[in-house]
Amino acid sequence: MACLLQDKERAAWLLGYCERNLPPALAAEVERHLAVCPDCARTVEAQQKVWAALDVWEPPQVSPNFNARLYARIEQEEVQPWWRAVLPDARVWTWKPAMPLAAACLAVLAVALFRAPSMPEPGPKAQADSIDVEQVERTLHDLEMLQQLGPSNSDKV
Amino acid sequence: MAGVEQDMAASLALSRAVLDAGVLERDAELMLQVRAGDQRSFALLLERHRAPVIHFLYRMVQNQAVAEELAQEVFLRVYRSRETYEPTAKFTTWLFRIATRLALNWIRDTKNEKTQESLDEEILEGGPQRQVADTNPSVEQRMVRSARLAEVRRAIETLPDKQRAAVLMHKYEELEYSQIAQILECSESAVKSLLFRAYETLRAKLAHMNV
Repeated sequence: MACLLQDKERAAWLLGYCERNLPPALAAEVERHLAVCPDCARTVEAQQKVWAALDVWEPPQVSPNFNARLYARIEQEEVQPWWRAVLPDARVWTWKPAMPLAAACLAVLAVALFRAPSMPEPGPKAQADSIDVEQVERTLHDLEMLQQLGPSNSDKV
Repeated sequence: MAGVEQDMAASLALSRAVLDAGVLERDAELMLQVRAGDQRSFALLLERHRAPVIHFLYRMVQNQAVAEELAQEVFLRVYRSRETYEPTAKFTTWLFRIATRLALNWIRDTKNEKTQESLDEEILEGGPQRQVADTNPSVEQRMVRSARLAEVRRAIETLPDKQRAAVLMHKYEELEYSQIAQILECSESAVKSLLFRAYETLRAKLAHMNV
């Protein structure tokens, strides 16, 4: 058998061998291999030490009021308003972080409104419109004068 | 040799499938009863899985108070999901997926602000460590034990987050490669590779210890 460390699938057998959870036939096969492969033998020896070292780490005991706290939270959730049931994640929403953002938006809006010009400058089209009106007025005035002059008046002249 | 390997693999797969079916039935049945409104089934599930989940979270975040807080969130999420629960995967896989996500998020969110208050304090001040095995150990034995424990915790803590989760689930919770793969959302082959690299690091750091 080739060195088990060359193939990660087979290298997993070494872990299984250390955990003693390989089927007996495969464990015997791995054991025969270890006798002839110093690299794998060294790895198994080191892994067994690591395994034993990790056993030293015992977790602390669970707090005696863990269940009581959990049931209190469940009860609290069950009496919550209907909209929280519709929006389950709404419970993580608070107004606190939104306030500065809203204030900043208002400030930007206020500055934008304050700095905006009240009326747009008249463009070339607006100027053209005003000229047209003057021309019409002038023309009407001229026509009025011509009417006053009329054919009778012109005869007199 | 190839024949033996194939037979062994088939036998392992079959025994795991049978075992899985049994465990799936029990936990999934309880969860379906919770779905039907049976609070006692939730209490049973909590009793069965509370300690493994808290212990896993404790070893992930290395802080008892945070671990319990995260575990509360895990079981709250389980309870909240009761009405939509479908037994499509093994219950423990689903449970540890929730726990792992919460732990990885917590680690990510607190990476910059995390202090090492818990590690040395708990050990030196006789915090909530459970005294096991040694009955009436001498002061010297206790000190040696504390030093070893600190070394183990540091070694685990220095592993990349996913490797740490994989090692803890493999070593302490005895989850199968397939379960770890589902929890970490990667292939079984990737899990084997992850574990191999993680144990390689741990061998380099801890193999000198004579426990």
